[in-house]
Amino acid sequence: MTAMPAIPLAVGANRVVRGVRVSHVCGDPALSAQKDWELGVRIVETALNSLVTAVSGPTLFEPSEPEPQEAAL
Amino acid sequence: MADPNTVVHFLNQFFGGIGAEEQAYAPVQEKEGPVGPGRALQAALGDQAAVVSTIVAGDNYFTEEVESAKAAVAEILDRIKPDMVIAGPAFDAGRYGLACAEVCRLAQGMGIPAVTGMFPDNAGVLTYRKEILAVSSGIDISEMASVVGRMARLAMKLARGEELGPASEEGYVPRGIRREVMHDRPGYERAVDMLNARLAGKPWVSEMLITGYDVVPPATPLKNLKESTIALVSTGGLVPRGNEDRLVGSRAEQFFRYSLEGVSSLSVEDWESVHGGFGTLILNTKNPNYAMPLQTVRYLEDTGAIKAVYPWFFSTTGNAAAVSAGRRMGAEIAAELNEHHIDGVLLVAT
Repeated sequence: MTAMPAIPLAVGANRVVRGVRVSHVCGDPALSAQKDWELGVRIVETALNSLVTAVSGPTLFEPSEPEPQEAAL
Repeated sequence: MADPNTVVHFLNQFFGGIGAEEQAYAPVQEKEGPVGPGRALQAALGDQAAVVSTIVAGDNYFTEEVESAKAAVAEILDRIKPDMVIAGPAFDAGRYGLACAEVCRLAQGMGIPAVTGMFPDNAGVLTYRKEILAVSSGIDISEMASVVGRMARLAMKLARGEELGPASEEGYVPRGIRREVMHDRPGYERAVDMLNARLAGKPWVSEMLITGYDVVPPATPLKNLKESTIALVSTGGLVPRGNEDRLVGSRAEQFFRYSLEGVSSLSVEDWESVHGGFGTLILNTKNPNYAMPLQTVRYLEDTGAIKAVYPWFFSTTGNAAAVSAGRRMGAEIAAELNEHHIDGVLLVAT
């Protein structure tokens, strides 16, 4: 789980999940507490789902977007 | 004599004189002429080339907003149309090295030869080895002058359209490109000489260098998350406040195990990050869970989405860590997890 997926994909990590930023990979402090929590759940669920997904090589998993919502920043 | 070649130099926020980690989100900006190490570069280029402009951008900005950053750099290069682009050197700063590599690729895509410089294990090389020409450096910026000198020399070779010799001779990071050459003696003679030297304990140099990374086949997917026990690992430098184990902020050789028994979330009171490679203010004052999402994972455990969380959390600092150290730490962690029949791992990499 990383904010810079290019690196692990290039060196051969097979299941890579995109996080938000280096300084806060699994959430976003600029969001409201509720939205930040929901984002964190989406990111971790994406990561867990990647564990039950067959892949044939380095694969990027993007946390799915929720319904359109307030701007993050 | 022809006009001097024009050079655009790329630097990060620190070397470009804007600021340190607090300016890591600085957007792409332009400064006239050479700046900071660009002056050493200009001196090395002499009257063969002129650094007409310096592009500066923050390490985080470039790597997190890479498309906008590239667009901004492309606009500048399109306007100036330099003969060459030189980026860095980045030494072993990973985000900076990645940014330099992106700038070089962009320039090359626009038909402009480009040279950078960095430590061979830099993320920029790991990610774009075959596509960039990087002078190899150590990790100490005190060798700036010598690295910049080699970058200038290689840049001028490119500008003159000269063919480059092998990496070991020209001083750049091997790209994994093989060219056929004729030797003066047949292979079996050279092989026997090499063997004799090894047996006699004399120095010898291999003709083939094995670089690159292990290809690890993907693990078969888990059958059922609800039956799975998950372990948590982070390279975010998270430690119990006070860092009694003295986890280092960079070049880590060790990881530490911390008990998660009865811990449902990482609190700012009890945890801190000692990672020396990015601004840890948010982790240390707002929420350490951003670098190891224990709170979220516990919630998913409580709701039955996963069966259990392994009660030990593995922590190290992923900042300029040697690849060999990473490999060893990974193997040790994996051995313990296998022993306890753990099904899957979430690894947060900063």
